[in-house]
Amino acid sequence: MVFSDNELSRYSRHILLPEVDVQGQEKLLSAKVLIIGVGGLGSPVALYLAASGVGEITIADHDKVELNNLQRQIAHDEQGIGHSKVSSCYQRMININSHIKINPINDKLNGELLLSQVAAADIVVDCTDNLTTRFEINQACVTYKKWLVSAAVIRWEGQISVYHCGHPDSPCYHCFYGGRNDSRQNCSNSGILSPVVGVLGSMQAIEVIKLIINKGDSLIGRVLLFDALSMQWESMQLPKNPNCSVCGS
Amino acid sequence: MNITLKCFAGLARHLPAHAKANAAKVEINEKMSVHQVIDFFKIDREEAYLVILNGVFICPPDRDSTILVENDTLALWPEVAGG
Ligand SMILES: [Zn+2]
Repeated sequence: MVFSDNELSRYSRHILLPEVDVQGQEKLLSAKVLIIGVGGLGSPVALYLAASGVGEITIADHDKVELNNLQRQIAHDEQGIGHSKVSSCYQRMININSHIKINPINDKLNGELLLSQVAAADIVVDCTDNLTTRFEINQACVTYKKWLVSAAVIRWEGQISVYHCGHPDSPCYHCFYGGRNDSRQNCSNSGILSPVVGVLGSMQAIEVIKLIINKGDSLIGRVLLFDALSMQWESMQLPKNPNCSVCGS
Repeated sequence: MNITLKCFAGLARHLPAHAKANAAKVEINEKMSVHQVIDFFKIDREEAYLVILNGVFICPPDRDSTILVENDTLALWPEVAGG
């Protein structure tokens, strides 16, 4: 790949990083990332990955933008109220970087559609808001052996991890939350502090970039937990559950 | 025997008054399981979904059989699944 002067200028602050360099930026421009949910977490993920020059980004969401989203879902604005979240997010992304390919899917991503989209992606980013959907995304990622970068938030709390069942020591999301039925709590009924989603979504974008350029230590087998009120981070080891009904043998 | 109990987010209300940075040295009985310690401090098992013993996640089926020893650190977090 030969970079144009325009691209060299746009991505110069990445290319200056020895861990990224021209080769890393080429990998970013060749990568395909699927972002499921463009609400609180998905907004910073989509904007940072578009700005970073991830070459092909699919965004999926079936919701419309509402006024109460604007407190934290920074990909959307007042003009977008009543329009689909993917069209609103698409517009912001393309305004930042018109040289990448963005595929908006204004639909609930489940069943065959979910499977085909996961199969087509290099990395899946889970930015959804309920356990049922999270389990289905995890199952699809295990089936197709895809990287899953998963974060969640509520109130003042957040957590993030990375899963890949092709990796011998990696647990899956079901190893972690498999003991749980669908959550009774979500951001709509429990509240969420706006910048907490920005912190966790930005960290998802960091993990995606590291996986694409193959640098650093990923969060495989570890979960980071964040309590913003006491400003504490905890790092927890998450072992693979040999009896897991999704990834166990 | 003594352990360190750490409670985060809404669970922090269960910590004793001398707790600092979400952690407190507390005294429990010998040979208590993870579940027994959670019950001992009158914490709702459902609310304390994330149970971390010495930095390692303890999955729900293992919480009756995992026994604490002197100087263990038990950290509790609520479930997080929103987005
Ligand atoms: Zn599993």
